[in-house]
Amino acid sequence: MKKLIALLLAMAMVLSLVACGGGSSKPAAESTGNSSAPASTEGSSDATPSAGKADPTTLNIFMSSEPAHLDPALNSSVDGGCLAVNSFEGLLRYNAEGKLEPACAESWEISEDGTVYTFTLRDDLKWSNGETLNANDFVYSWQRAAAPTTAADYNYLAAVFAGFTYEEGIPADSVVASEDGKTLTVKLAAVCPYFLDLCAFPFFMPVYQPSVEKTVSDTAPAGTWANDAGEDYVCNGAYNLQTWNHDADMTYVKNDNYWDADSVSVTTLNIMLTSNDVTAYTAYQTGDLDFIDSVPTDETQNAMQSPEFKIIEELGTYYVGFNYSSPIYDELGLNEEQAAVFRHAITLLIDRQYICDYVGQTGQIPANTFVPAAAADGNGGVFQAGSEGYYSATDYEGNVEQAKELLASIGLWDGEKLTQDISFTYLTNNSEGNVKCAEAIQSDLAQLGINMKIDQQEWNVFLDTRKNGQFDVAREGWVMDYDDPINMLEMWTTKSGNNDCQFGRDDSKALDWTAYDNLISDIRTTSDLAERAQKMHEAEDMLMDTWCVVPLYYYVDPYMIKDYVDGVYGTALGMKYFYHATINTAN
Amino acid sequence: MTKYIVKRVLLAILTVIVISMITFFAMNAIPGGPFNSEKAASAATMAELNARYNLDKPVPVQYVLYMKNLLRGELGVSLKTGRSISTIIGESFPISAKLGLIASAIAIVAGLILGSTAALMRNQWPDRLIVFLTTLITAMPSFVMATLLLYLFCMKLNWVPAFTAGSNHIVLPVIALSFSPMAYITRLTKTSMLDALSQDYIRTARAKGVPQLKVIFLHGLRNALIPVITYVGPMIASILTGSMVVESIFGIGGLGSKFVSGITNRDYTMIMATTIFLAVIMVVANLLTDIVYKLVDPRIKLE
Repeated sequence: MKKLIALLLAMAMVLSLVACGGGSSKPAAESTGNSSAPASTEGSSDATPSAGKADPTTLNIFMSSEPAHLDPALNSSVDGGCLAVNSFEGLLRYNAEGKLEPACAESWEISEDGTVYTFTLRDDLKWSNGETLNANDFVYSWQRAAAPTTAADYNYLAAVFAGFTYEEGIPADSVVASEDGKTLTVKLAAVCPYFLDLCAFPFFMPVYQPSVEKTVSDTAPAGTWANDAGEDYVCNGAYNLQTWNHDADMTYVKNDNYWDADSVSVTTLNIMLTSNDVTAYTAYQTGDLDFIDSVPTDETQNAMQSPEFKIIEELGTYYVGFNYSSPIYDELGLNEEQAAVFRHAITLLIDRQYICDYVGQTGQIPANTFVPAAAADGNGGVFQAGSEGYYSATDYEGNVEQAKELLASIGLWDGEKLTQDISFTYLTNNSEGNVKCAEAIQSDLAQLGINMKIDQQEWNVFLDTRKNGQFDVAREGWVMDYDDPINMLEMWTTKSGNNDCQFGRDDSKALDWTAYDNLISDIRTTSDLAERAQKMHEAEDMLMDTWCVVPLYYYVDPYMIKDYVDGVYGTALGMKYFYHATINTAN
Repeated sequence: MTKYIVKRVLLAILTVIVISMITFFAMNAIPGGPFNSEKAASAATMAELNARYNLDKPVPVQYVLYMKNLLRGELGVSLKTGRSISTIIGESFPISAKLGLIASAIAIVAGLILGSTAALMRNQWPDRLIVFLTTLITAMPSFVMATLLLYLFCMKLNWVPAFTAGSNHIVLPVIALSFSPMAYITRLTKTSMLDALSQDYIRTARAKGVPQLKVIFLHGLRNALIPVITYVGPMIASILTGSMVVESIFGIGGLGSKFVSGITNRDYTMIMATTIFLAVIMVVANLLTDIVYKLVDPRIKLE
């Protein structure tokens, strides 16, 4: 008997060693994925069958941990944005089809040259405290959001206004309210095909001036009014914040002064705030939550079997960035052109389908463009329509053959093996999914003998290291803020804080990146939208020609919702809307 | 005694100052910053934020400014959220402290009873069972314990909801917090009780016909308490200030998670405030522990 137990123990040890130690090889990653399945199946069989809910007026929701800001101008997180769109409302809003519809504005006119917008606001708009809301509130809110003292992460969005500077903010004559407060006239710096999208974005939602000004002081920064529930917390959307137990939960109640209050049937939203998605998943299974915006990685395989598991294709790309100035190219004896060929080869060596199936696991789509496949082109069409991408996203074997040829063309491959040792480091933050993705790439490259080391850093250190260009290759990702390719292209200008690849920053390189900078500023002022779209293609081509940006997949946004809840919808930008939800009590 | 306490208080203040200094320079030395994010803010915004919170000044200057404000009782605002730190600590510490006090009380009472029982019934089945259980609990990390409790009571038995807005069920977090110190106190009590019971004065007391219970509690337990007290003082201090793991699993807005999130976010003001707060509680707990020693064992001289 003892011998048997000893044997079993030994086997368990060996198995666990294989599973852990071989983390970088693909079969092991697969087994990690499967091994969690039996345990979790057991879990879900206990889930209360969601046939109907006793209380048709309350939704219990988990988004994420506590958002840093509830002030829509200061928020820069997606979960904070979701809370913003349900409690504030801009001039426009998105409907369930993902299309813009009138919200605070009842109609608008655009001047012939496309740079002047005149919005007519609804009559009788009110704040949640019953005070009148008019165009002057938008003037105040936009000026304030863009002001340097507000120091909002998103203040670069205000660059669309004529005469905006970071130092001075929006000039008074660029956003003007009519005397009766009924119309708002906006002057843009240039034609901006996504301006109406911005009007539905949290940064451009109105805030209540008396609250903001009452609470702000030398020691209390701009968002203080929204740091707690209470009389200073005034909003204009469907729900108002009633209680906020920090790091535990929030309760939102229906705002009866909302212009569309008649269509709001769920009167209470309880928001669970925790950094622990396992607890949230448990609460969902026991029926204590009706909606969860994320599922623990280990439970994904199992949760996906449920009809309550939903996926939205998100406008965003998960990718890898090469540091243009990394010393590896000199070490390999490659000039700048050869370095690009080398990066092209690496791009082709990655098995994207595998990463989507076994690392992402929730239906991510293999990417072969930097601007997501579903993004609009600012001219009424889809940006990537008719584009074949920069390589095949799925023909892995064909890609590998091509990669070998490319490596041979720069003398790194002799037909059988590498001609010299190739070794570089992949920088990633230490979260599970990102590390697994790095390991999948590592094992792809290892098949040709390329040695890729993985450097895992803690989140905040990682951000610094990447921003300062102290890496060879780094994990990257971008979810679009608004549906226009410029959002993903302008981040690569020389001086941009997001130019992690360090384009144009190393004078010893021959790369002329001013051409890119000029192209981007050109796009910003081009008024012919077809020409603008064409130029954005040029910019993407130019970016992809460097092969510094290696798209892996387009993001998807998974969530779970009980089948007795109808009318909750999300957009491709990650927002979730609860104010048109209905709950079935039947069954 | 008074002279001793005054001396200790002065020493405690010095300790806190040294801790604050080390923390301040250490947190500024590690890479990363409070305003980092995946999507970088504009250079103008970064400059504005750094200037507002004095982060553009040399670190020693920042430290002096911070300590000046601290002396005025100003802890500043969280760099991450802009909320006042005294408000944050003021609302989250009572939550953690309430759970912590209940958990400590359970841990101490149950630990002493179980430990004494194990010592008195040495090598019999209750002793074996207690030793087995305490070893198991000691070996179990708190996140495993908390997850197990969640799984068992919320999911399997459905006794406690996993989430209710506006109210926290304290039973599970209290169990999760108290188990590990309880196991440790049990083991400590058992060891020192065995030691105490084998002393000559116990034999003398028994020979004189002192009742069994009196022997155990007055002569045995009282003398066995010293090592337990040594552990209990700092334990209460740390349990009062909360546990990140337990708070995040049971969705409690306590102080424990603030330590960790402060560091992850490089929320400098939050790191300083929580560290100094914990340091103060620790030195107070240590001081009280030493005074309690004296009460328990008059032979100990506080010099």
